[in-house]
Amino acid sequence: MSNNNKYVLEVKDLTKSFGDNHVIKGISLHLGKGESYVIIGGSGSGKSVLLKCILGIISPTSGQVILHGTNMVGLPPKEREKLMIKCGILFQSGALFDSLTVLENITFGLIYGYGWSKKDAKEVAIEKLHDVNLKDEVLNKYPSELSGGMQKRVALARAIATSPDIIFFDEPTTGLDPITSGIINELIVKCTHEIGISALSITHDINSLKHISDRVGLLFGGKLIWEGTNQNLWTSDNPYVQQFITGSLDGPFTT
Amino acid sequence: MGFITFLEKTGNLFINFLKATGSIFMFIFKSILTGITPPYYWKQILLQTIQIGYFSLPVVGLTAIFTGMAMTLQCYSGFSNFTAEGAIPSVVMIAMTRELGPVLASLMVAGRLGASMTAEIGTMKVTEQIDALSALSVNPLKYLVFPRIITGTLLVPFLVLIDDILGIFGGYLVGVYYLGFNSANYIHNTFVSMETWDILSGLIKGAAFGFVICSMGCYQGFSSKGGAQGVGRATTNSVVASSIIILLLDGILTFVLF
Repeated sequence: MSNNNKYVLEVKDLTKSFGDNHVIKGISLHLGKGESYVIIGGSGSGKSVLLKCILGIISPTSGQVILHGTNMVGLPPKEREKLMIKCGILFQSGALFDSLTVLENITFGLIYGYGWSKKDAKEVAIEKLHDVNLKDEVLNKYPSELSGGMQKRVALARAIATSPDIIFFDEPTTGLDPITSGIINELIVKCTHEIGISALSITHDINSLKHISDRVGLLFGGKLIWEGTNQNLWTSDNPYVQQFITGSLDGPFTT
Repeated sequence: MGFITFLEKTGNLFINFLKATGSIFMFIFKSILTGITPPYYWKQILLQTIQIGYFSLPVVGLTAIFTGMAMTLQCYSGFSNFTAEGAIPSVVMIAMTRELGPVLASLMVAGRLGASMTAEIGTMKVTEQIDALSALSVNPLKYLVFPRIITGTLLVPFLVLIDDILGIFGGYLVGVYYLGFNSANYIHNTFVSMETWDILSGLIKGAAFGFVICSMGCYQGFSSKGGAQGVGRATTNSVVASSIIILLLDGILTFVLF
């Protein structure tokens, strides 16, 4: 257990192997309060596995994930659940429960995780729905009745409903048109800069990266090969960074 | 060299079988362990009660009534050679309550519910909805699996009972209205040899089969990988595995409860 409160999240020497396939090779990073850290990298670089290890969806082979001073790796499920309640997650697909309405989706964590009454949870759900620029009319609709962008916004409303300290974004703008992407990016910035929530995101979207990141880490071959601020990224002469942000076919990234 | 390769392959198959069996038992054990402690998801249990107990009734009922009818006819063609037609109601009753009722009801439930459980949970798995449950501090085993296992174990015996009643009724319809049996005699012959254990042994089998169907349905759903194809494969595995286990278990339980 660590008592270092400087960071809300610290990842130390994290590794993950599937048999002989070493996907994550000793990654360390940290996230300060109200900071937005974005992990970028090509397909197959290990971004999703890293995020799943941090979230405890898959167990890392070694290393530590320290959330609010407590190492989550190897923690009993109940204690982990208590800590995770301080986290919100926006999944790539939205991952809305398709058998539940928008209202039930947003209130789910509040009722089943926090034990709130339905009435109180509904009030919060409506407030969060307005935060993500959606109207009350969608409350009783099912996810299949909403557009992709609306589903993503509902998923974001669900992620922030429990007033988390940290939100994890998995490809938040994937599959969205530029305008809806812009709305999602604005909402992420609002979460971090106005509300003070810390954010750890993984993305391919350069435009999104430009808007939402305070610091950036570039993942390649399971290692964090470059780390710096948003400003550093655009002036970096690192060939990996250069190729990634320009989308050039020539460079160390191979397809 | 050939013999060594054969041993190697057989050994690997056996080890994989043990791994899979261990994984299923661990899955069930964890689900029950997390499910028996509060909070309880009563709404989920109620939803499953409706799904298993109510919506399965038509398919189970139809199967039972036609099986009872066919059974009476087939028995008649054999028994009439020995002028033993009077034994038909008893035979139909024993066959339905001890064997056909539990097995047929369970196979129908495996086809209908086991498949739908796997498909639903499998789709939730591949669309990250199960990860979302964990992220919202809700244990997926407790929320999705335990209510299904407990409801299946308690409600399949109820379906077996309905199956027994309708199967015997189907036999009565054919016996009385097609084969010309006397109605009062048919009913008397049905109940005169009926023992509580005939019914009870069928219900015990039903509970065991219900447990198997729901456990396998949920396990296969959680094991789904990839996209639609993975869910389809898991659904097939669920129905095939449940059906085979039901038939194997039926043989074992019949010996035990005989």
